[in-house]
Amino acid sequence: MQDVMWLVRHTLKKTFSNKKNILLYFGTPLIGIIISLFVYSGSNEKNVHIGVVNNDPHYITNDTIHFIKGLEHLSVTNIKKSEIDDQITSGKLDCVLVFHQGFSKSVEQGRPGHLQIVSIHGAEITGFVKSYLYHYINNISALGKIANGDERTFWQMYERYQQSPFRTSVHPLKDTSKNIGMTYQTIGYLLMIMLFSAGSLAEMIVREKENRTYFRLLSAPINGNKYILSNIIVNMIVMTGQIMITLVMMDQVFHIKTNIAFWQMAAILMLFSLVAIGIAFITVAFANSSASAGAMQNLIVVPTCMLSGCFWPADIMPTFVQKIANFLPQRWALDALLKLQQGHSFGSLYLNLLIILAFALIFFLVSAYKFGRNNNVNNFV
Amino acid sequence: MNILEIKNVTKKFGDFIAVDNMSLTVAEGEIFGFLGTNGAGKSTTINMIAGLLRANAGEIKILGKNISKHSHFAKKNIGIVPQDIAIYEDLTAYENVKFFAGLYGLRGSQLHERVEEALKFVGLSDKHKSYPKGFSGGMKRRLNIACAIAHRPKLIIMDEPTVGIDPQSRNYILNSVKKLNEMGCTIIYTSHYMEEVEEICSRIAIIDHGKIIAEGTKEQLKAIITNTKDVWIEIKPMETIDLNKIQSISGVKAVQMEENLIKVSSDISVNNLNTIIQCLINDKVEIRSLKEQSPNLETVFLTLTGRSLRDH
Ligand SMILES: Nc1ncnc2c1ncn2[C@@H]1O[C@H](COP(=O)(O)OP(=O)(O)OP(=O)(O)O)[C@@H](O)[C@H]1O
Ligand SMILES: [Mg+2]
Repeated sequence: MQDVMWLVRHTLKKTFSNKKNILLYFGTPLIGIIISLFVYSGSNEKNVHIGVVNNDPHYITNDTIHFIKGLEHLSVTNIKKSEIDDQITSGKLDCVLVFHQGFSKSVEQGRPGHLQIVSIHGAEITGFVKSYLYHYINNISALGKIANGDERTFWQMYERYQQSPFRTSVHPLKDTSKNIGMTYQTIGYLLMIMLFSAGSLAEMIVREKENRTYFRLLSAPINGNKYILSNIIVNMIVMTGQIMITLVMMDQVFHIKTNIAFWQMAAILMLFSLVAIGIAFITVAFANSSASAGAMQNLIVVPTCMLSGCFWPADIMPTFVQKIANFLPQRWALDALLKLQQGHSFGSLYLNLLIILAFALIFFLVSAYKFGRNNNVNNFV
Repeated sequence: MNILEIKNVTKKFGDFIAVDNMSLTVAEGEIFGFLGTNGAGKSTTINMIAGLLRANAGEIKILGKNISKHSHFAKKNIGIVPQDIAIYEDLTAYENVKFFAGLYGLRGSQLHERVEEALKFVGLSDKHKSYPKGFSGGMKRRLNIACAIAHRPKLIIMDEPTVGIDPQSRNYILNSVKKLNEMGCTIIYTSHYMEEVEEICSRIAIIDHGKIIAEGTKEQLKAIITNTKDVWIEIKPMETIDLNKIQSISGVKAVQMEENLIKVSSDISVNNLNTIIQCLINDKVEIRSLKEQSPNLETVFLTLTGRSLRDH
């Protein structure tokens, strides 16, 4: 392993002793943020209209409705159960929350239920309402669990919770739709940059063969696998840097609220970096020169990024394009992020994660097979 | 102890046999010369010893250990100076040597000392902060050597280390080879230049079409051709002559043209000088001088292979 780290250090030093490369690898991801700032600057925000049916008159239910009303960019009206269909189909309301009888009881007992959300919009509307609402309800039902059926204890804790200042942490909902768009745009662009970065880092393998240093490397006590491993590690280091820089800049400098936990976003992007390495290795394995590897990467990266919706939302594209996009790894990474923004739990995304992992695995296997064949005919000498 | 043993090794590229059932041993402390024309199979053999190519048949041992079973051990004890210069243009001379030496596990102050030592050895100490981009061909060749010796290998294999360089660099390299040998390194030296091999090598193998056709000390090789005499005929420059005509004269074993010098090797027992001269006169070739020559390695090579060592 020590020799692998020696190779890693060497490659990093060699790459980044050229200051231009620092800018190229770590500056370009920021361009994505800047572009998204332009695209979304001044776009007006849309109010979400919510109807509430309260069949459970109780202080917990009332406070919950009060909480929703307190969220910005939401307008809340009380309606009757019989009006739901009409209001929703006519488009007057985007969604309706129905608090059935027993809601407050269930929350108090720590097993929240008896709540229904009706909408004809996709999750892009209900997602936020849901995520904030569930967060609120879960907190209260947690109190219920602690109180363990003792109504007095529950009430005392509940009172305190209602007055606690950190309850106001709901305000970030402001600007959400704009923020979501900006996040999508930035990450879509980042995926492309990651693909290109992995491509040019992997291209070093071909260049090393071209200038014969690969010959020397392999005549030292290093084998081809260790060399490839070192390239993978360098790739991971650079892409982790890109991900971190992008996420931190989005959050700290540009204050774009992604609505996704930092580590979840990072995890998905890191998973995607494996795909990027896989694709890069395929181009390197099939190309017979660094120039042709570069050309192949251009041919693959830009069109697939366009098809999979890295530059614009996938659902504005024709359905057959969307179907094609299902065969592209970028689509699944972006889809996972969208779902997280809509309030899906990280665990529920296992299908997306598995598919991304499968893409990476297939790419690795194909390139390993091809690398192996190349070495059989001794192309490297 | 034999530092290198090659036993019945064959390497094929497709149907083409580049190395044909070759066997060879090199003892510790030798400077072993590897002579052969272009495409004879020298580099292929070296690449197999270096573990870069796998032989189709046969066995190679370094210090008694099979290289495919003990590849780490073998590689640590070998330093390869590749025929094609293999250095990083965007790293300084020092960084180049340091990187490659580090692959052999050297670190810290020991690494630093060895790198300086290697650079000093090839006469590049004053250039250690320079980039090879600005180096002359000879300096690049010397850096190419430094990269192979910093880890102090027991066996150094040099694949045409003096190709296309100035005489000064060449002398420097030849002297370093001798010095390395005096310090205890065994050296395998490949070259097209007969004079170099004759000057520094203690033993020589002549390889042709992937086979070793003769092997031994200079004296042993020359003894192969004690029944040969050489005549060098100097003619007027720019004359064209038909060497085949001379080749077909009875007793002629080999004939070769070098600028305006015709070198004819003949059987010592045949007196054919008259016929040769007659042949040239018939072709209206102007003869300037005539000299009898004692045979050298060039003659050996020519007689054995029927070809000149350097066909370029
Ligand atoms: N990877 C390869 N694939 C196919 N043929 C090869 C390969 N490498 C070498 N050869 C062939 O094998 C033969 C021996 O080549 P090799 O490089 O060993 O010769 P050499 O003695 O080193 O010649 P030179 O003096 O030109 O360096 C040549 O005919 C060459 O074309
Ligand atoms: Mg060669």
